[in-house]
Amino acid sequence: MKELIEFIACSLVDDPSKVQVKPERETGGSVHLELRVAKDDMGRVIGKSGRVANAMRVLLRVAAAREGKQATLDVIEPR
Amino acid sequence: MGQEKTSLEIIAPTVEEAVSRGLSEIGLEREGVEVEVLDSGSRGLFGLGSRQARVRLTFSLEGGARKPTASVIEEIVETIPESTEPLTEEDVNTLQVTREVVAGLLEKMHIFAKVETRFIDPLDERDERVVLVDIQGNDLSILIGKRNEVLNALQYITSLILGKELGHWVPLLIDVQGYRLRRERQLRQIARRMAEQAIHTGRRQTLEPMPASERRIIHLELRDHPRVSTESVGEEPNRKVTIILKK
Repeated sequence: MKELIEFIACSLVDDPSKVQVKPERETGGSVHLELRVAKDDMGRVIGKSGRVANAMRVLLRVAAAREGKQATLDVIEPR
Repeated sequence: MGQEKTSLEIIAPTVEEAVSRGLSEIGLEREGVEVEVLDSGSRGLFGLGSRQARVRLTFSLEGGARKPTASVIEEIVETIPESTEPLTEEDVNTLQVTREVVAGLLEKMHIFAKVETRFIDPLDERDERVVLVDIQGNDLSILIGKRNEVLNALQYITSLILGKELGHWVPLLIDVQGYRLRRERQLRQIARRMAEQAIHTGRRQTLEPMPASERRIIHLELRDHPRVSTESVGEEPNRKVTIILKK
């Protein structure tokens, strides 16, 4: 799951070295992922009205289902 | 009488297609055979629940018919033919990169499938050829998802990655097991049936919510209809096509 989001994010941003995906917590069968990218790349992974992030969530859900899990994804604003 | 009769069973998306497939197999005209509809099939408003139509043709071999190659013929899933335009070096590269991107995404989604890419002719008036990504494998309904959600997400993400990687926009169509073509045919049928119903009842007909690409097929199918017009109403993702009688 983490690899999927990393693969997509790294392919979309200008600065792949700043891409970070962390499984924030895992409770039971549910995984929460947090994606961080460089500030200038935020738009690329979120998209107009969240379209890119939502498409990533759809694919993530399939990947998670294949492992018998559920997963959520948040894109975190860099400080 | 006393002629020896042979029968042939055909499974295809619709009764009409099954009959014509069967006739071409045995080389007879419609008049020369007895047609029995074993199952008229069901469309189910969402593609996944649909059943194929089954017909049985009974005929005499003495009437000049060819002997069928099998007793049951299951219509193979149709595919969209490859564009005949010659490929440039850049085209070959585009196909390869596209295949790698989709295969990479699928692998990370833990989906094992064969991925092939080819150029197809433009789907409509747009003048650009389209890259068709054909995904084949077993049990891939998870890749289509509710209202094509997964297929559309995969297509969207892939086209963004390609745009970034190749530096230009690539018109893309991702298909799983011929689903898009089957679904398109089904949508055209639904459109015509609902148009008839609108005329018959005199009332506005509202279809199921559909993604934009599917609504477009309905609009196009009824664009030149003499008695009805179409209009989309509601907000995404519940936007629906309605069919209205022309005044």
